[in-house]
Amino acid sequence: MPQLLVAAQGTLRMTAAAFTIAATVGLLFGLARLSRHRLLSRFAVGYIEVVRGTPALTQLFLIYFGLPGVGIVLRAFEAAVIGLGLNGAAYLAEVYRAGIQAIHRGQREAAYSLGMTHLDAMRYIILPQAVRVVLPPMANYAIALLKDTSIASLISAPELMLRARDLSSEYFMPMRLYLLTGLMYLVMAYPLSRIVRFLEDRLSHGR
Amino acid sequence: MTGETWGRAFAKLPDIARALLVGAVTTIQVTIGALIVAILLGVLFAVLKTAPSRALRTVASVYVEVFRAVPVLTQLFVIYFGLAGIGIRLNPLPAAIIGFGINGGAYLTEVFRAGLEAIHQGQFEGAFSIGMTRPMAMWYIILPQAVRVVLPPIGNFAIGLLKDTSIASAVAAPELMFRARSLVEATFLSTQIYLMVAVLYLAMSLPLSRAVRRLEAAMGRGHQA
Repeated sequence: MPQLLVAAQGTLRMTAAAFTIAATVGLLFGLARLSRHRLLSRFAVGYIEVVRGTPALTQLFLIYFGLPGVGIVLRAFEAAVIGLGLNGAAYLAEVYRAGIQAIHRGQREAAYSLGMTHLDAMRYIILPQAVRVVLPPMANYAIALLKDTSIASLISAPELMLRARDLSSEYFMPMRLYLLTGLMYLVMAYPLSRIVRFLEDRLSHGR
Repeated sequence: MTGETWGRAFAKLPDIARALLVGAVTTIQVTIGALIVAILLGVLFAVLKTAPSRALRTVASVYVEVFRAVPVLTQLFVIYFGLAGIGIRLNPLPAAIIGFGINGGAYLTEVFRAGLEAIHQGQFEGAFSIGMTRPMAMWYIILPQAVRVVLPPIGNFAIGLLKDTSIASAVAAPELMFRARSLVEATFLSTQIYLMVAVLYLAMSLPLSRAVRRLEAAMGRGHQA
């Protein structure tokens, strides 16, 4: 059904936008978590714990239905992107943290002994290596995010699941319709998961 | 305007809290039910996936790939609305437990499979060398060790499941999110109610998270060769 294909584009756009937010904000929180400034790391830990301890759906509802109460009104698509993005940021922050800490401490000490500042060591030594470690979990997250966009249908954001629900009241064939929807998600997600497995294999060599 | 709603919210606090708590109990029920189904299915398909028979392995692989690529929401809709369309009417609660159980089973299959494979191949050979059959080796030697390896991932999965049950609100399962949405429709106190919902989920998930972290620490120590 062509309408489902159009809606699937909305899903992909939402995934891409939310992933961008999650990846960048997540990096900020990940670095904040590892910071030596106690206030900063405490704040990051608090954010991560709270966001990871509550469902994404609740966060979306808070942003879409709750924020208007304090004056901020967002459209459904934007609310979904921001909500999923901030949720993902908390998750990716932990991924970044684990990745950075996985780089042998000796690397950091060697960098300092060469006279690099903390920032330089991060930029030139640690982060480039951490990228390799962090890529598979991030790719796995991208796949999960693709599926999580279906939740945005519950705040009426324009994506695949919402269109499926609308069509189900028009066409009265819910089984066929939702199976078709499932198939579309499969078609979108399966190639991604093959890529992830390929990445995992390639990146685990030369360890 | 906002000040007025907070005033109303505090006035109705006991009633709102009570309604939400009932939902939270249902959330826990769905979580436990689905967890049991998921563990049973996970063990079954993990064993299938490591079976000698190619046909069994393929069946298990298909199950895992399909149910991990499709969102839970879609699976719930197929089970609740789709089955109803062909005459099988389920109540929301069982539908949610079945849906999350089947979905979780696919995820746990991989966890259990990794756990099984983590047990050194030598254990199998040792078992065979004293005359055990493959099922016997599984039951007495491999599975008990695999359980230790597998406990932390199951714990983490349970926490994720607890949060995912919020999606069951879409098929009118009377859990926390669903109760919250009904209350918001009745009272229009969206900000306050959803904040309370967040607090309730935190109250349920944070203790679980801490327990899992302690479990992971305990498993890390005393690691056998």
